[in-house]
Amino acid sequence: MLKTPSPTRPERLEDLLPPELLARIASLDVASRRVFSGKLKGERRSKRKGESVEFADHRQYVMGDDLRRIDWNLFGRLDRLFLKLFLEEEDLSLHIVIDATASQDTGEPNKFFFAQQLGAVIAAIGLINLNRVALSAFGAGSTLAHLKDLRGRRRLHDVGRFLCALEPSGTASAAEAAKRIALTRRGKGVMVFISDFFFKEGYEAPLRMLVGHGYDLFAVQVLSPQEINPPIGGDLRLKDVEDGDVAELTISAPLLNRYRANLAAYEQRLKSFCTARGIQHMLAPSDTDVAALVMDELRKRGLLR
Amino acid sequence: MTWLSAPIAFIAAAIAIPTLIILYFLKLRRRDLEVSSTLLWKKSIQDLQANAPFQKLRRSILLLLQLLALAAALLALGQPEIKADITQGHRRVLLIDRSASMAATDGDAAAPGTTRLDAAKKAAIAIVDAMREPNIFTSLTSDEGGDQAMVIAFGTQAQVVQNFTASKAELKRAIEAIDPADTPSRLSEAIKLAKAQSPLTFDVEKERFVARGGPSIIHIFSDGRLPDSMKMDFKPEEISRLEISPDDVVTYHAAGQADSGNLAITALRAQRDFDNPARLNIFVAAQNTFREPRTVDVELAIDNRPLRVRQITLPGMSAAPAAADDSASLERSEAVKGEPIPGVGGVVFELERAEAGIATARLIVPEERRDALAVDDLAYAIFPPAKRLSVALVSAGNLFLTTALEGMNLSRLVVIPPEKFQSMLDAGPGATTGGDAATALSLGDFDVVVLDKWLPMVKLADGSGGDAKIPGLPPGRVLVLGATPPPPMGLIDRGEIDEPAVIIDHDRQHPALALAGLTELVIYKGHKLEVGEQSAVTVIARDQNGPAIVETTSDATRAIIVPFDPGESDWPIKPGFVLFVASSLTYLAHEGPQDVSRSLTPGQTLAERLPVGAQEARLSLPDGERFDLVPAADGSVAYGPLNKVGIYTISWRGSAQAGDVPVEEGSDRVRRALAANLLDPEESTIGARPALALASRNVLAEQAGTANSKQRLWPWLILAALFVIMLEWYVYNRKVHL
Repeated sequence: MLKTPSPTRPERLEDLLPPELLARIASLDVASRRVFSGKLKGERRSKRKGESVEFADHRQYVMGDDLRRIDWNLFGRLDRLFLKLFLEEEDLSLHIVIDATASQDTGEPNKFFFAQQLGAVIAAIGLINLNRVALSAFGAGSTLAHLKDLRGRRRLHDVGRFLCALEPSGTASAAEAAKRIALTRRGKGVMVFISDFFFKEGYEAPLRMLVGHGYDLFAVQVLSPQEINPPIGGDLRLKDVEDGDVAELTISAPLLNRYRANLAAYEQRLKSFCTARGIQHMLAPSDTDVAALVMDELRKRGLLR
Repeated sequence: MTWLSAPIAFIAAAIAIPTLIILYFLKLRRRDLEVSSTLLWKKSIQDLQANAPFQKLRRSILLLLQLLALAAALLALGQPEIKADITQGHRRVLLIDRSASMAATDGDAAAPGTTRLDAAKKAAIAIVDAMREPNIFTSLTSDEGGDQAMVIAFGTQAQVVQNFTASKAELKRAIEAIDPADTPSRLSEAIKLAKAQSPLTFDVEKERFVARGGPSIIHIFSDGRLPDSMKMDFKPEEISRLEISPDDVVTYHAAGQADSGNLAITALRAQRDFDNPARLNIFVAAQNTFREPRTVDVELAIDNRPLRVRQITLPGMSAAPAAADDSASLERSEAVKGEPIPGVGGVVFELERAEAGIATARLIVPEERRDALAVDDLAYAIFPPAKRLSVALVSAGNLFLTTALEGMNLSRLVVIPPEKFQSMLDAGPGATTGGDAATALSLGDFDVVVLDKWLPMVKLADGSGGDAKIPGLPPGRVLVLGATPPPPMGLIDRGEIDEPAVIIDHDRQHPALALAGLTELVIYKGHKLEVGEQSAVTVIARDQNGPAIVETTSDATRAIIVPFDPGESDWPIKPGFVLFVASSLTYLAHEGPQDVSRSLTPGQTLAERLPVGAQEARLSLPDGERFDLVPAADGSVAYGPLNKVGIYTISWRGSAQAGDVPVEEGSDRVRRALAANLLDPEESTIGARPALALASRNVLAEQAGTANSKQRLWPWLILAALFVIMLEWYVYNRKVHL
């Protein structure tokens, strides 16, 4: 919750993604609950039936069908013509959005560092599995940083460079940023939004912008342990790091209880909002081990497989 | 609860409490903290403020605690006091009975020989030991520094042996120093003394004086043999008069055993026969308070030489009487109502003895059956020699009177003409008149002077008339017949009355009148008389016109005055006249009823009349101690109170009276012995009472009591404020973890 006095800033990709973690995630792949059509032939099953070796279905022959696809064994047995359909395999677009506003640069461990780590891991998984990976970050003044159309393990260092270059600062209109991201993204696929979702103007608008348009949205809410259980006391003047808003308060047991209740209610509303719109929501305290989160929690949630 | 300075507290509260709250607002120096988002915090504050307008104040336990501390301090400023029940009284009055019965050796059943007084002292010292010590805090919360106690020892008279003090050492020393006295008990004296010693303050509400420092706890250490305890009244109207607080607690500590029996001499009387003065009758009465009859030897010794021993059997103590209807013993019967009656018996010794002497009666109890109280096993009686009175008749000649006096077998009867008596009187006491020593006469030689129809000229009693002289009474013992001295020693004469008068009322108990036969007396010619204001006379007989016979007493004079002339009545021809003259002379000469053996009771004051002109008077106590006495103008001396039974001897240089003997042969010093005896049936009934009956309440022995006391609360409030401040500091430091 409190601004991190001297936050950890990654220098290289290895700071975000140690080699041993990279080795462990090599077996994972990004999953989508929906099957999307891609642009290029990839390792991903497409909606379209195609020319892969994987059998998908049979269907009645109709006039004009390619005779090469008729299942002759079946014709011999049933004396009727069926076409043998095969699955088409395509690549998947994986878009990772990182909130780089000043509010992310708080907490112990630092929330932004956690977001960087998580982004790097998910991006690495996408690249390894030959998915089309894009990275976006929005920070002060809703400025956007993009890294698009990465494919293949070789581009991992580009990801590292991009993430290491990010510096959280200022405030941003998440809705504005989301709108621009939604307009600029192409194709269909999985989008991972890493933020604390403490948007003064509300989280509803940006999420609504991002969901849909062929994207499966995954919202990872990063909160510091201090935000969940504030370790503060006394008479305080709390200053918002983003907009400088000031709240004067005297910490008391009822106030802390009220804060926790409000936080829980906030979480609950966010979760309900996401569920109602088919958005996967996950709370990730910043003191969570990234490897464990990826290997265990994200697989359970269906982002990875 | 009362507030001694409530307005000050209110003013201080009006200033201090708002100040604290304003200070609380001012003192908020908020710490600046940068947080990720104030979103939830603002919402939380709004939520709390929405349903609690004074949330900031109410939710701040620190302010609450500070307010509490301030409130405690402000309340302390109001100086509240409450009446608190406390188990320990602040003021204790220890009344220790040292009367004769407390010398009984049954104080401790476990240790024979311990007197009740020893046991009572032990109990009193235990009370002293249990007294609260003064300390700094109790001196703040109460008026006194710890408990205070006063020690009063009482028998017949009460004596403060230690005034109020908190010093245990002084109290113990005072208690240890109490000596037993052989006196009867009187509780009322002690209670009055205790009240008199209590410091008083005026209570405006109750409009009377009350004991300062709250009520006292009165501890009575006694065996309960207090005949006057029933008179100790604690009723409200008495309280205001006696200044006894109704909150006073009376605690009775019983000493001795309830079933203790005792053999005691309750009366000893030596009397000479009227006909044969050489024969002495000595009567000894004894009582038994054992349950079973006892046979006891009574030994009579004269001048310390045992003469006779008689054995008497005393019945055992009998059950309580159904009702006490004897009006004469009403007082006593109330005190002992419901108590068993001791067995009584008596024995008379008759012996021939013309000389003076000291008779000692002793109960000889076998060693193995010895009773608990020894002091009443012994009694003394002084009997004078078989000597008659020396009487001077101042008369111009009176046949009846001279005949009556001559028939009385007096030791000396001198008829003096009025003129000679007047010159003797003018010469002063002790001076002699006349030519040679053989016929020399002195006023001091006569026990009684009889004035017949004549009064000497004396100076005015108050000296207002200078050397002017009026007819009056001479100093000494005087019987006046047929003359009336003026007030205040006499009566106002309103003139003669010629019609006959009869005595309509007279004091039948008076020794002089008992045998005078006044009921048949007819006075032919009397005087109409009145008793003046502030008169010193007592009318002992009265006819239809007013006083007929009066008695008068002053420092110097004691007289019986018969205003009418007996010659003008039929009295002289009746035997009553002779008996009246005889008994009057005896009564006047012996200052009281005619008992040959006068006995004093310990606790009383010794008051004796020495011959006029006695010098260098000295008193020897039974234990050998000596005191110098200074006789008054008429020769009376006083010493008291007497504490011990035994023989008291007064010796002086000067003339002797009947019964007085020279100290030694040829000496000009004369001595007179006086006996002090307990002779008190109530005091000799020594069974300890388990409960003490006071007029308004019964006090059980060893009853524990609580007393009310004003307790100041402010030190406690200050303590509470201190505690709350400490708690506030703790909470302040622990606040993060709330």
